Parts: sequence; structure tokens; C-alpha cells
Amino acid sequence: MASNEDGSIGSSLHGVTGREQVFSFSVEDGPSSQPIRTNDPTAKFALPVDSEHRAKVFKPLSFAKPHMRAFHLGWISFFTCFISTFAAAPLVPVIRDNLDLTKTDIGNAGVASVSGAIFSRLAMGAVCDLLGARYGTAFSLLLSAPAVFSMSFVADAGSYLAVRFMIGFCLATFVSCQYWTSVMFTGKIIGLVNGCAGGWGDMGGGVTQLLMPMVFHVIKLAGATPFTAWRFAFFIPGILQIIMGILVLTLGQDLPDGNLSTLQKSGQVSKDKFSKVFWFAVKNYRTWIMFVLYGFSMGVELTINNVISGYFYDRFNLTLHTAGIVAASFGMANFFARPFGGYASDVAARLFGMRGRLWTLWILQTVGALFCVWLGRASTLPIAILAMMLFSIGTQAACGALFGVAPFVSRRSLGLISGLTGAGGNFGSGVTQLLFFSSSRFSTAEGLSLMGVMAVVCTIPVAFIHFPQWGSMFLRPSQHEERSKEEHYYGGEWTEEEKSLGLHEGSIKFAENSRSERGRKAVLADIPTPEMGTPAHV
Amino acid sequence: MAIHKIILASFQICLLIQFSHGATKERLFSDLEKGALDVTAKPSRQGVLDAGIDKLSITWKLSSTAKTQASFKTIKVKLCYAPVSQVDRPWRKTENELFKDKTCPHKIITKAYNKSSQSFKYTLERDIPTGTYFVRAYAVDAKDHEVAYGQSTKEAKTTNLFSVQAISGRHKSLDIASICFSVFAVLALLVFFVNEKRKAKIEQSK
Repeated sequence: MASNEDGSIGSSLHGVTGREQVFSFSVEDGPSSQPIRTNDPTAKFALPVDSEHRAKVFKPLSFAKPHMRAFHLGWISFFTCFISTFAAAPLVPVIRDNLDLTKTDIGNAGVASVSGAIFSRLAMGAVCDLLGARYGTAFSLLLSAPAVFSMSFVADAGSYLAVRFMIGFCLATFVSCQYWTSVMFTGKIIGLVNGCAGGWGDMGGGVTQLLMPMVFHVIKLAGATPFTAWRFAFFIPGILQIIMGILVLTLGQDLPDGNLSTLQKSGQVSKDKFSKVFWFAVKNYRTWIMFVLYGFSMGVELTINNVISGYFYDRFNLTLHTAGIVAASFGMANFFARPFGGYASDVAARLFGMRGRLWTLWILQTVGALFCVWLGRASTLPIAILAMMLFSIGTQAACGALFGVAPFVSRRSLGLISGLTGAGGNFGSGVTQLLFFSSSRFSTAEGLSLMGVMAVVCTIPVAFIHFPQWGSMFLRPSQHEERSKEEHYYGGEWTEEEKSLGLHEGSIKFAENSRSERGRKAVLADIPTPEMGTPAHV
Repeated sequence: MAIHKIILASFQICLLIQFSHGATKERLFSDLEKGALDVTAKPSRQGVLDAGIDKLSITWKLSSTAKTQASFKTIKVKLCYAPVSQVDRPWRKTENELFKDKTCPHKIITKAYNKSSQSFKYTLERDIPTGTYFVRAYAVDAKDHEVAYGQSTKEAKTTNLFSVQAISGRHKSLDIASICFSVFAVLALLVFFVNEKRKAKIEQSK
């Protein structure tokens, strides 16, 4: 992995947010407040770490400081935000009576609930870089908590929509959570760690469908009328957010070696230019394909979180409670479905390289979408539930598989691409809710089937993702001398002057490591690294 | 595989249960005897009624034109949405199949059938939504199947309607608690932030 030599660039924060902290761990610089002795800096960590003190193993049952603690704080914060954002969904049958909402009002509020995060996810990258992952997460949790509590004041469709919009901002914790795990865990296991963090966080969308009706029921038993009880029920996600915010600030740590503010004093040199990072992310056509793809895997999942409970309540005449249980099963499947998708992608990569990853992604997402079509057409409860479960597994696994491809699209702009892809998920959800679930043009059942069809169509662009060094779904890798090398692809993100300054060395190192994406051929290939200023071979 | 067979078997059992309900699903609203009961609903005051406060005086009796009264066992009186309150609200849709019909979700009272005129003073419940309503009484037989009905409005459901304004559901105590928690959240963040910045400055100046 990364060497300890002079001039080697610590890549723990490389490109995650697009503003790299170079030399942030060089102990020889100036009067550092860190009492770490270079001869055994890893002794104080509970888990084995690499040269940047990122954990090399993933122990989900441990809460050891700082790595596993960061993982748990990160995913639970994300989970809490999912609960808050979709807390209204299972209670819509009560809310629509209280506020005299029409189907259009409900649909628009659903769109609003996922739209805020499009912007907040993009901004979160910069926030994490400036203030650290702890404050990024805590800002999200504590500043959106007032929005959750303000459901007490909502009196009509307009205020309902505004509150749901503001609560939705907290979904930016997706980015801060992934950022936090990326600085705490080494590259080889980051796929699994991020898949677990992402999947377990997404489960919040399922848990809320169970939690909110239950809380509502208990409050009604305590004597409140339904129209007051649902408002009070929102206090639970609100209080959870406050608790998590405080826990993150007190128990969490930004980086393996300490908090950002204390570490920043020990010699920080040029950060990567945001404009450059932004340009390379935007210029790469694959970013936009990922944007669309995630819009129809995660986007569909977010939409379902908003509509599925009401769908089962209205169409199959279930009670609020039972509809919540059914809807919850959709979100709960995330517990294993998303990590499974990431794992399947990794296995496919081992055998067939990047082409395997792309095929896995296409298959999972298309199959999931086809089951969505079936869900809309199912007219009996057992078939609807079966279709929904298969649909959930396919779509959520596709989310995991997509983030098996995303880290390879760019090295310099990795963080920004994660943020853009994440925003794409919310954008896709907004579009599908607006098109299919916000007017009386389609019944909810028709809307589900049409959404499935649209998802199948919008998954086809996977075929156009082509890496010259690895190929694509239907094309083999380039035979060209230069273009068939990983170094050419990742080096292409740096200008000649930047290369002459050696700023691209992290990308070159990444390129070497990414040879595993050639599949079985990687074992056979014996390509020497080009002599372009790379540090001494490991 | 064994699991395969179990899933298939339970799936088929579920299907069978669904199909066995088929008989009840076929009952249609259009098959019921119209106007078998004369129903009147008089609001306690003029204008828009307040849920939880205002009352309706409801009376029902057997109509002179009724034919199927021999099978009447119980009368179920319900509060129903007028067409204007059903617009863009598919969860209140009027359907011909009785089990699907969502026009009259609010139960008022269920009483045993009696030839003579019956009445009931109904206080609008606090969970009645804002909307325009009328009252319908279903005559139900011994098998709990509807056989006839009467309603306080004409067939077109445009006359003799009354409006209800729902409670807001808001409470002063809830508002205050909400503000307190919100302020606490923002303050907590500010306190931590300022504190850490101060500590970092002290560290640096050392």
C-alpha cells in the first residue's frame, strides 16, 4: 500500500472531497502537537492499520476507537436521518385527513422531501473537508432537527411541503458517512465497509415505516386524538437526531490520528484546486451515466419509501400498522441486499474484471426494475409482497454494485463523483415521484409499473461505460499501446505541469492497485510501471 | 430443494385463501335497493360545522316504497363524502364493488332495524377531516351483507350537503416543546463548535 517514503502523498483524503490534504501526516514538519513516535505509531490502535493509520480489517461488532467507532457513529447517523426524512410516509393516511391534502399535494411533498438533499449532498463534501466528518454529520443532524420538530406547526399543504423539504436536507449524511469511513478504512476493504454503512443506513427508510405507526398508536392510547398524535410522533425522530448529534461530537474523531482542528496545525500545504477537481468530474461522461443509474436504483428506492405504505393501505385495505410492516420489509432488505450487491460486484471483478462489475450492475438493476413492474400489476396481497421483496433485493443490490464501479471512474475527483452520484439518486427519486405519483393521471399501481419500465430503459446506459484499459459490457479493452494502461487513464486527469510537480503520484499508485480490475488476466499480466516520476516500487 | 417446495406450497395456499373470498367480492352497490330508507340529517347550526363540537340530528325510517324490508336486521348509519371532497383524492373514491367503495368510511351508529322512525344525535368526531358530507344508512341482513340503503341527499349527491371544518390538531404545549427542543439542538452545536475552536486556538498559541 502507500509507502512511508519522503514525498509520498498520504492518500487517505485524496480526492474524497476533491480538496486533498497533502502531507497532513508528515510528523517531521514543524512543531507538531502530536506526540506520535515514528518507530511504532500503530501500537495504540485496536485494529491493524496501514501506513496512514487506516484500519485494515473490518470488525462490525467492535466499537474500538477510532475506526469502528467512526463506522458505527456514521451509519447510525445516516440511519437516523433516513428515519426522519421518511417519517411522514407511513402516517400520510392520517396527515392527509388533518391537512385536507389532495394526491397532488402529497406527491409534491414527496418530491420535496428528496430534493433538498440534491444540494446538501453536493455541499457536504466541502463541509467535511473544511470542518471534518464529525461536524459535517453533526451539522446535518442538529440543524435539521428543528425542521423535524416544526411538524407541530404545520397547518396546510404549503407548510407541510416546506417542512418535508427542510427535513430532507439531512440526507447529506450519506456523503459525510462515506467520507468518514473512507478516511478510517483502507482501500482494499472500503467496498464492503461502505456497502455496509450505506445499506444499514438505508434501512432507516424501512424501520421508520414500523416505528412511526407504532409511536402514533402509543400516543393515541395515551389519550391524544389522531390529528395531534401524529405531530407528537415526530418528536421521536427529532430527539434521536439530537442524541446522535451529541454522540458524534463527543465520541467521534475526524481522523485516525485525532480531530481535524488539532491536526490542521501540523503543516498543511497546497490542497487540490476545487475548480480542477470539479472540471474533471463534470467532463467525464461516466459521471453522468452513474448519476442516471443511481437515480433509478436509489431513486426508485427513495420513491418507494414514500409511496409503498400508502399503496398497501389503500389498495389492499390493510391497517396503518400492517401496511407499515409490509412497507418496512422493503427497506429492511437493505441490511444484506446492498452489501450483497457490493460483494457480487467484487466477485465478478475477480473473475471478469471491470466488465464483470458492469454486467453485474446491469443485471441486478434490470431484474429489480422488472419486479417493480410486476409489483404494480399484482392484484392480490401475497403476490404483491413477493414481487416487492424480489424488487427490493434487486434494486438495493444494484445500489451496492454501483458503488463497486464508482471508485474507479476517477481518482482525482472521487469524492465529488460520490457526491454527484448520491445527488443523482435524489434527483431520480424527485423525477419519478413527479411523473408518476403526484397527479391523478395514473393510479399508484400504474405508477409503479411505469416507474419499473422507466428504470429498465434508464439502466441501458451502463452499456456505454467504457474504460479503455478494461473494456465495457460489449467491447474489449483497447489494444492501443498507451491507452490500454491504467496509468494513462488516471494520469489523464492531471496536466503536464501538475505531473512535473509530482502531484499525480497518488493517482499512479491507485492505477497500479487497480490492475485487479483486469480480472483473471491481472494475474497473468506483467506490465512494468512507466518511468514517469513514480516513487520507488513498493 | 425443500425450501423451494415450501415456498411454492405456501404461495398456493395463499392464492386459495384469496380465491375463496371471491364470493363476497362480487357484491355491487348498484344491486342494493335505492331509497329503501328515508334519511334526514340536520346540522345543529348554520354554516360550516366544527368537528368535535357541532352535532347532527339524524333520523331514518322505512320508506313507503321499500320492498326488501323482510331481510333487514341492522341499520348502519355512516358519514359519507360528497363528490366535491373526492376530487384528486383516490382514497375516497366511489366504486361499484362494495368491498372497494371508500365513499362512506366514517361510522356514526349501528342500530337494530325497527319499522318505526329512529333518530340519533351525533357529535362530529375529532378525527373527521375538513370536507363536504352527507349521511347514508345501509340496511344489513343477518349475513352482514348490505341489501338496501337510503341517504340524506339525492342520487346526484349535490343537494342537502353540509360542510365540516376539522380540528387543527395543534396544541400550545406541543408548540412550546417543539421550540425548546429546536433551540437546544442548535445551541448544543454552537457550544461544541465554539468550545473546540477555542481549545484549538489555545493549543496553537502554546
